[in-house]
Amino acid sequence: MLAQSDPIVGIQGLNKWFGALHVLNDIDLTVASGARVVVCGPSGSGKSTLIRCINGLESYQEGVLRLAGTTLGHKARETAAACRQTGMVFQSFNLFPHLTVLGNCTLALRRVAGKTRSEAEDIAMAHLEKVRIPEKARSYPGQLSGGQQQRVAIARALCLNPRIMLFDEPTSALDPEMIKEVLDVMVALARDGMTMVCVTHEMGFAREVADEVVFMDGGSILDRAPARDFFSASGHPRSRLFLETILRH
Amino acid sequence: MGFDPAFALSCVPTILSAIGTTLLVAAVSCFGAATIGFLFEMARRIGGIAGMASGFAIDFIRSTPVLIWLYFLYFVLPFYGIRLGSMTVGIMGLSLYYSGYLAEVFKAGIDAIPKGQPEAARALSLSRRDTVIYVIAPQMMRNIAAPLGNYFVSILKATPYLAVLAVPDMLGRAFDIASETYRYAEPLVVAGLIFLALALLISYGVKRLERRLLAGGTR
Ligand SMILES: Nc1ncnc2c1ncn2[C@@H]1O[C@H](COP(=O)(O)OP(=O)(O)OP(=O)(O)O)[C@@H](O)[C@H]1O
Ligand SMILES: [Mg+2]
Repeated sequence: MLAQSDPIVGIQGLNKWFGALHVLNDIDLTVASGARVVVCGPSGSGKSTLIRCINGLESYQEGVLRLAGTTLGHKARETAAACRQTGMVFQSFNLFPHLTVLGNCTLALRRVAGKTRSEAEDIAMAHLEKVRIPEKARSYPGQLSGGQQQRVAIARALCLNPRIMLFDEPTSALDPEMIKEVLDVMVALARDGMTMVCVTHEMGFAREVADEVVFMDGGSILDRAPARDFFSASGHPRSRLFLETILRH
Repeated sequence: MGFDPAFALSCVPTILSAIGTTLLVAAVSCFGAATIGFLFEMARRIGGIAGMASGFAIDFIRSTPVLIWLYFLYFVLPFYGIRLGSMTVGIMGLSLYYSGYLAEVFKAGIDAIPKGQPEAARALSLSRRDTVIYVIAPQMMRNIAAPLGNYFVSILKATPYLAVLAVPDMLGRAFDIASETYRYAEPLVVAGLIFLALALLISYGVKRLERRLLAGGTR
């Protein structure tokens, strides 16, 4: 069993290739329980691939990735059980268009967690309240704005009561006026003590909630620093340059 | 020899008496073709040897005339000691033949689903089976309702081929009348109109189904 102080994610010497392309190069990363890690870096640097490895959406070839006390990729059943401890939010929401908001939130509760319909609906409604969208429970995703859809996606991921939430650029497909409503929900989640790994270029959000900022480029982690230091002048030259370009607009 | 409406009307009961056979053959063939076609497509997606065999079978079936399938099953199978009724053979032939086309329809319907959908299902820890049942199949259905309905109409319209196996369908009845009375126009027109009515009915049903599947709008 996992001791309270053990990190939820422990990555050592992780390497991954897509064919000849070396997408993850000797990654080391530890995410303690309750930590909030923001991952940033230029396009193609491997950010998505890294967090997709953490919940088993991608496999890896070398190194060790321990999630909730289990090394992923060794035993199928244990890997699946560990991955169940994660919730993931995608850039493009990926809500199920043929199901209502409530149907989206209850599907895994009923099929994976084995809840009855009414238990599942109670849990789902509680999370929809949390993301402040309970009145849309009976709507279909196509009837919601992007910001609303992303909040539903967050509620859907929370329903299975994950120990860690993974976000892959959750606001970059949104119109500017909707970014705040999603970030507010994420900040509230962080305040509640949720462990989070978040790929984002929202540096305001990073400043506000992150314990640690990780800067990736070319499949490697080039710089990692407590959020406070990352935004001061002390960082790696490459990440300073990157920060300047994204903060300029 | 003009068209005699009174005679045409008198043909209706005889021809209609075979509507049950036509509908039975068509319905079971639709079901069979959809089932086999779906399995073909699933096998093709799994890949490997089963996938290659399945892909070949789909192309092979689609490149041969349906009559060859019917004759083959009817005349060649008994050689191997497999004796089946002509209606069973007819249903098997139509099911197999159209399964090749329906596999392609299923393929298009699944290809149109964004890959974020199965990924979201995996991120929610849904099993592969549940992902197919609750995420893929319903979205595939809304993508394919229209082409599927068209093929169901095609299958209905292909049932007269079973005349070559002496299955007594509506067209068969019409020919019986024709050969007894030497009047072709009336029985053929009546049979044609009944097929038309059935085809329209199926199209209407499919349109309604499509509207229901699209409830709540698309993405
Ligand atoms: N399934 C795949 N097959 C082959 N190459 C891939 C695959 N997925 C990603 N890649 C490549 O791996 C590299 C890293 O991709 P990744 O999506 O992790 O980058 P990213 O940092 O998330 O970029 P972005 O900011 O654009 O989302 C890219 O060069 C990408 O083209
Ligand atoms: Mg990415």
